[in-house]
Amino acid sequence: MRKRILLLVVSLAVGGCSASVEPGVSLTAELVTPVDVELRWSGTDPAAAGQIVEFATEPQGAYTILQFVPPGQTSYKHPDLIPETTFYYRVRPFYGSASAPVDVTLPPGDYSEKDQENDHEWAPPKVVPGAVDGKQPSRTAVPTELKASVMHANGIRFTWTDHANDEEGYLLEVKPQGGTEFTQAMVMEPDVNSVGLITLPEEKAATYRVRPFRYGPASSVPHQLTGRNP
Amino acid sequence: MRKKSRAAAGLLAICGMFLGAQTAYAQVEPGGWTSYSPGYNVQLKGCGQANGLTFTLTCSSTSGEQRAERRFDTYTGGTRQFEGSFKITSMGGTRISLKQTFRESPSAGPYFIMAAERGGRLYSVEGGATIASGATVGTSVRVNTVNQVGSSHRTYINGSLKNTVSSPSGSYYDKFGAYRTSSGNGPITVTWSGIQFWRK
Repeated sequence: MRKRILLLVVSLAVGGCSASVEPGVSLTAELVTPVDVELRWSGTDPAAAGQIVEFATEPQGAYTILQFVPPGQTSYKHPDLIPETTFYYRVRPFYGSASAPVDVTLPPGDYSEKDQENDHEWAPPKVVPGAVDGKQPSRTAVPTELKASVMHANGIRFTWTDHANDEEGYLLEVKPQGGTEFTQAMVMEPDVNSVGLITLPEEKAATYRVRPFRYGPASSVPHQLTGRNP
Repeated sequence: MRKKSRAAAGLLAICGMFLGAQTAYAQVEPGGWTSYSPGYNVQLKGCGQANGLTFTLTCSSTSGEQRAERRFDTYTGGTRQFEGSFKITSMGGTRISLKQTFRESPSAGPYFIMAAERGGRLYSVEGGATIASGATVGTSVRVNTVNQVGSSHRTYINGSLKNTVSSPSGSYYDKFGAYRTSSGNGPITVTWSGIQFWRK
């Protein structure tokens, strides 16, 4: 009888521990080789702008973002891992409305010494007074007046008007010419409305947009202990 | 009411036992590691500035010594692990060293350099090999280096092995922060966090 009560208390406790979090996404982690983990998830919110995939090596974090992934992606491979180490994973949706995109074509030329000597005062993320109108939730607060100024052959300054009042940050997203998906080039603090980007060689012609964002609830947190090096 | 409170307290206590047990068994690399805290000094040269774990090169100069780094104590032999995360909040320049493993003897010189290029969107190691591309500026990147002196030096970026080089016997030390390499320039602001060292 005592054993039954103990079992009941333990199962209630374990259930209580896991029930305290209501994951929006169901995540599994499979050790496909001794040092490769494959993640698969389901139950994503169609309203999300995408997911972030994160890992930690301790159950309580600190978590590190592995990648921002587009809404349709439901798997991720984490390769060549530290051997004999426990990896914890979670997936979180992010929400927010993107600005209208702008196309930018840069002059030809590599990242020259002259360009590098530019003081790049325009590059650090800034909050420019007068272009902040934080009156709407980030899910519906579409940034307006996104402008791209070519600063040199591999540098662009972006400015926009911020309308969000609850964002956890801003994303600068890029899609090189011929690409199919936007990817995240930069994460910025809330209220930022001016930033510079040094472009990659494949971004000589590309489309850009900005997005205020908030994270949604975390998924379940599976873990895997990696093996010895193969 | 009192019974409910007791039950809730019991539940919390048992949850705490489970969570506590998980924390106690957290592991980093194969076992036998002992955590330690080496001493350090802060090296500032040229336009380098340091504020706690935030390191800045304020200028875009392509010459001279531009440096803001923590230089940790020298070690000889054994195996040492460094762990830390960096976040580049702004970088107009290129080829700025973020983490070095420096050999002090028998011949002194930078032995391993991990650098950020092109505004923080690429990471490379000495010799020019790209170890990460398409990086998202403004997110934290976790770095683990394991120097098995007399065997190999391994670098893990976000948990994945990205570089392995042989590690000759001798004396070494760790440095991190921001340092202009011979072909690089600022400006840059980078913040480190979660710094830990182990040895075995």
